Amino acid sequence: MLRHLFTLIWNRKRANALLIAEIFFAFVVLFVLGSLLVDSYRRYTMPLGYQYEQVWYVAMDPGNEPAARQDATFLRVIRSLKALPGVRSVSTTLYNTPFSFSDSSGDIKVNGRNANCDRYAGGDDMADVLQLQLAEGRWFDRRDDAATRKPVVISSETRAALFPAGPALGQIITSTNTTDGEMQVVGVLATTYRSRGEFQKPKPAYFRRSQPLLADADTTHLDKPLLLVRVQPTATAELEQRMTKEIAAVSGGWKAAVTTLPEERTIRMKFALAPMGAMGLVGLFLIINVALGLFGVLWQTINQRRAEIGVRRAMGATAGRISAQILGETLVVTTFGLGLGLVVAAQFPLLGVMDMKTGVYLTAMLLATGLIYALTTLCALYPSRLAAGIHPAVALREE
Amino acid sequence: MENLLAKSPETRTLPNGPATATPVLRLTDIEKIYQTKTIETVALNRVNMTINRGEFVSIMGPSGCGKSTLLSLMGLLDEPTSGTIEIDGRAVQSFSDRELAGLRNLKIGFVFQSYHLINDLAVLDNVELPLLYRSGMSGKERRQRALNALDKVGLSARTTHFPSQLSGGQRQRVAIARALVGGPEIILADEPTGNLDSVMGEEIMALLLDLNRNEGTTIVMVTHDEQQARKTQRLIRLFDGSQVG
Ligand SMILES: Nc1ncnc2c1ncn2[C@@H]1O[C@H](COP(=O)(O)OP(=O)(O)OP(=O)(O)O)[C@@H](O)[C@H]1O
Ligand SMILES: [Mg+2]
Repeated sequence: MLRHLFTLIWNRKRANALLIAEIFFAFVVLFVLGSLLVDSYRRYTMPLGYQYEQVWYVAMDPGNEPAARQDATFLRVIRSLKALPGVRSVSTTLYNTPFSFSDSSGDIKVNGRNANCDRYAGGDDMADVLQLQLAEGRWFDRRDDAATRKPVVISSETRAALFPAGPALGQIITSTNTTDGEMQVVGVLATTYRSRGEFQKPKPAYFRRSQPLLADADTTHLDKPLLLVRVQPTATAELEQRMTKEIAAVSGGWKAAVTTLPEERTIRMKFALAPMGAMGLVGLFLIINVALGLFGVLWQTINQRRAEIGVRRAMGATAGRISAQILGETLVVTTFGLGLGLVVAAQFPLLGVMDMKTGVYLTAMLLATGLIYALTTLCALYPSRLAAGIHPAVALREE
Repeated sequence: MENLLAKSPETRTLPNGPATATPVLRLTDIEKIYQTKTIETVALNRVNMTINRGEFVSIMGPSGCGKSTLLSLMGLLDEPTSGTIEIDGRAVQSFSDRELAGLRNLKIGFVFQSYHLINDLAVLDNVELPLLYRSGMSGKERRQRALNALDKVGLSARTTHFPSQLSGGQRQRVAIARALVGGPEIILADEPTGNLDSVMGEEIMALLLDLNRNEGTTIVMVTHDEQQARKTQRLIRLFDGSQVG
C-alpha cells in the first residue's frame, strides 16, 4: 500500500510540488521562529546570578549641595538607612543595576586570552543585598582597604574565558576601562551575572569594589548617588515612605526616588516580551495561512478525484481505506516537504547562523516538525472523511 | 465475513457441462427512484431477475431506460429504493460497508461505460488496483497476476503507458484486464464495446465469451448491439425502467 502511495504521489508530482513547497517554507519559518523562542525560553530558565525579591533601588538627587560636602552626606545617609528597622543591608552601586537599561563594558586581556565583560561596581554589602554566591575566594570587605591593588570579583563565565584551566584567585587582570585598570582577583562568583534580566544572553562580568564616595571615578560622570537596599520580607510601602523622609532629614534636603527590583523587572520583561509576542503572532498567522491553504488544496484535490475514488470503492476499497489513503498521501507529501526543510534547518547549527546552542536548534526542529505534522493531519482529516463519504455510483456517473 | 466470501460448494458451470441453475444474483421487486429538487425519475420499476452461475446475459434497451442503474445495483455500488438484492442467496441490504467492499473485491469485476481508469496510474498499476484491496497478497504476486491479465487482453507491451497515451480500444482492454485480474465470479460490463469500432468490438466480445466458456465466469453485459446480444445465452430487454422480455 505504501508503495502504491509513493507511486501515486510520484505520478502526481506536479500537483504535489506546490504542497511540498508550501510545507517546506512553513517549516523553515516555524523553525527559525521556534529557535528564537526556544533560545529565549532557555535563557529564561537560566539563573540570573542574584535575588531581586526584597531589593529596593534608591536614586538620590543632592540638589544644590556643594560637591565637596556630598561625600560626607552620602555616608550619613547610608549609615542612617542601615539603622532603619526593616532594612537588612545597603550597598552602593554603579548605574547598571539589575533590570536597568544601562550597560557598561570593558575588555580584559590576560595571558593572551581576551574577554569582553560587563563591568559592575558594588560595595561590601552588595553580596548580601543581591545574595551573590561565591564559588572561590570572597566578596569585598575591610581587608581590601589596605590592598595595594584594586580588588575584583569575576563571574563564572569570566573565569571560564580567562582561566579555563589554572587558578583564578590572586591573578592580576587589566581592563581596557581606564577607571578599573589593573585589578587583582579576590573572588569568583558561582554563577553567571545577568543584570539585563532573564532574557539576557550570558556574558562575562566582573565587579569592582565601589567606595561610597562621589569622588569615586565612576560617579563623576553620574550626578546621582545610587543605592541598592535589601529589606526584611515584612517590609511594606510604609518603609518606602520612611526611607524617603529619613534621607531628606539626614541629608538636609536630598530628594530620593525608591523603586523595587521586582517593579524594574516587570518593565524590563515587557520590553523583552513585546518582540516575542510579535513573533508569536507572525507564527500564528503563518500557521493559519498554511492551514487554510492546505485545507483548500486538499479539498479541491478530493473534488478532482471523485471518479478515482469511485473506482477504488467499486474495486473493493472500504470507506476507511479511502480516508486512510488521503491521510497517508498528505502525510507522505508532508514528509517530503519536511525532509527538504530539515536539510535547510541542519545548516543553521552547522554554519552557526544564529549563534545558538545545537540543542536549541534540535528542539526547534522537533517542535516545528511536530507542529507541521499535527497541522497537516488536522487539515487532511475533514477532506479525507469527505472522500470516504463519496458515493461510488454517483461519482462514477459524473464525467 | 470469511465464510460469506468463501467459495460456495456448488460447482461452476463447466465448459459444455450440464447447466446446473444456481442463482448467483437475484433481484426481487427492485425499484430505483432518483429524487432531485424538481423531478422524480423512476429509473427502475419492479424489476425481477435471476442470474445463474455461468450465464452470459445481455441487457438491451434504449438510452436512459435504466441499464447502468441496474448494473450498479448488481455491482453493489448503489442501493435500491425498494426491493431486495441477493448474492449467493444472501440479502445484501444488511451488509456493512466492509462486507460490501469485500464482495465487490472478491466476487465482482466491473467494466464501466466510460473506462474509468485512474489517469495518474500506469496501465500495470491500474490493473493491480483490485488486488491492492486484498489482504495477504505480496507485491510480486499482484504484479504477476496483473501481467497475466494484461496478456489475456493483448496489452503486455503497454504496461508502463498511462491511460492518456492509449487508444479507446486499448483503454477498454485495460479496464477489462482490471475487471478480471482478481478472478471474479461475476463480470458486470456496461457497454464494453460501445466506444469501439466493430473490429475492436468483436475482439472484446470474443474475450468475454472466452472468459465465460473457459473459466465459467458469469457475465452480465449491457449492449446496444443486437448481433453481440445474440451471441449470449439470454437477453433481457428493458424499457423505461421495466423488463419487457
Ligand atoms: N443520479 C441521478 N439523478 C437523477 N437521475 C438519474 C441519476 N442517475 C440516473 N438517472 C436517471 O435514471 C434513468 C436511467 O439512467 P441510466 O444511466 O441507468 O440509463 P442507461 O440505460 O444506462 O442509459 P444509456 O444507455 O444512455 O447509458 C435516466 O433517466 C437518468 O436520467
Ligand atoms: Mg448507461
